[in-house]
Amino acid sequence: MPHDHHDENAHSLLPGEPALRVKALETILVQKGLIDPAAVDAIIDQYEHHIGPQIGAGLIARAWSDPAFKAQLVNNTEGILSDLGFGGRQGEHIVVVENTPDCHNLVVCTLCSCYPWPVLGVPPAWYKSDAYRSRAVREPRQVLAEFGVIIPPEQKIRVWDSTAEIRYLVLPMQPEQSHGLDESELALWVNRNAMIGTGLPQPPVKT
Amino acid sequence: MTNSKMKPHHDMGGDQAGPITPDRPGDAIFAKPWHKRVLGLTVAGGAMGAWSIDTSRFWRESLPKTDYQSFTYYEKWLAALTNLFVAKGFVTRDEIINGLPSGPKQPLHDAALDADRVLAMLAAGAKASRPELTKPLFQQGQKVRTCSPDATKRQMPGHTRLPHYAADKIGVILFYHGHHVLPNSNAHFLGECPEPLYSVEFSSADLWPDGRAGDVVIVDCWQSYLEPLT
Repeated sequence: MPHDHHDENAHSLLPGEPALRVKALETILVQKGLIDPAAVDAIIDQYEHHIGPQIGAGLIARAWSDPAFKAQLVNNTEGILSDLGFGGRQGEHIVVVENTPDCHNLVVCTLCSCYPWPVLGVPPAWYKSDAYRSRAVREPRQVLAEFGVIIPPEQKIRVWDSTAEIRYLVLPMQPEQSHGLDESELALWVNRNAMIGTGLPQPPVKT
Repeated sequence: MTNSKMKPHHDMGGDQAGPITPDRPGDAIFAKPWHKRVLGLTVAGGAMGAWSIDTSRFWRESLPKTDYQSFTYYEKWLAALTNLFVAKGFVTRDEIINGLPSGPKQPLHDAALDADRVLAMLAAGAKASRPELTKPLFQQGQKVRTCSPDATKRQMPGHTRLPHYAADKIGVILFYHGHHVLPNSNAHFLGECPEPLYSVEFSSADLWPDGRAGDVVIVDCWQSYLEPLT
């Protein structure tokens, strides 16, 4: 069992510098046959290069373009994500919450850092920060203002605290200016924060 | 009333805190190369099946307060992972101290995740839902009252997913999600004990002295976190 005294924790026996700490543990685990370093490489490759917010953006763009798909995404989320091959680790039970002119949704995990990995990738640092975890449930409007999002008084806010294995994905409202664009163009309007609720869809930045 | 002195350090919803620093477009997914190693080791270690995600969370939140508050995110993951490997008998304290295994190089453990299985493991995940054993006690729209977090624990010190800010509050059942594994039990290897899981909606004005009427907070609660309102 974990103990209260710092001296009794095995982790405090590792080197002081974090990078050396990781290397020390990995060396032991690999030598003991507990970890295949190629598996670690493969996991990193997935979250660095394949599993990210572009997946969620594709789903949102398709929902904006296709009402039948939107109904499926909202009402049969697990089924449709499984069919499309976007389920899996930390997104086994995804619920899609839709923004409307009356209601804006915001997602947080106050107890740790739960986040819908298969559709958004690994969470950004601010999502895991003490400041966001502490404040999002209590003063969501001030938090959103710090992200540059002003919610009008008549629009209520629903804050979803991810305390169980349900993961929440925000379906933002489609901006007027984006009507008529095709799915691949629309996907560029859907940024990661818009699917957490700390942002709104924006025109893509021209490069 | 909840006793703030009993509130563990990881349970920070509603605490006073400073400004949030949003990231900028183009920021790296992993700020330091060692961050990704910790992520990979944690996911691969978990895939051995010797502990659940509930156990991992319990060990992270059980880090000493000074470490929990001073460690960066991936340092917490690394510390909890190290402690778990030692506690479960896979690695000894001497090996951690020496930075070397005590014996010769071992072949890959039967339970270890090999690289060929990574994609299938990530795609499969680990569902927390279980077959419905009983009918749910509460109906959509019904008012309920939450317990105190300590009252939901199966041992002390123990694990719960009921935050203090939502303790002893009146909310309304918004969704029923079916039966889900109960972290309070599963974290401590006391069995999965699946229970009905609900999304419960609370008025912000009921949660906070400065809460805004109309705004709401939704907390996912297992049935044993809730009492019917009489």
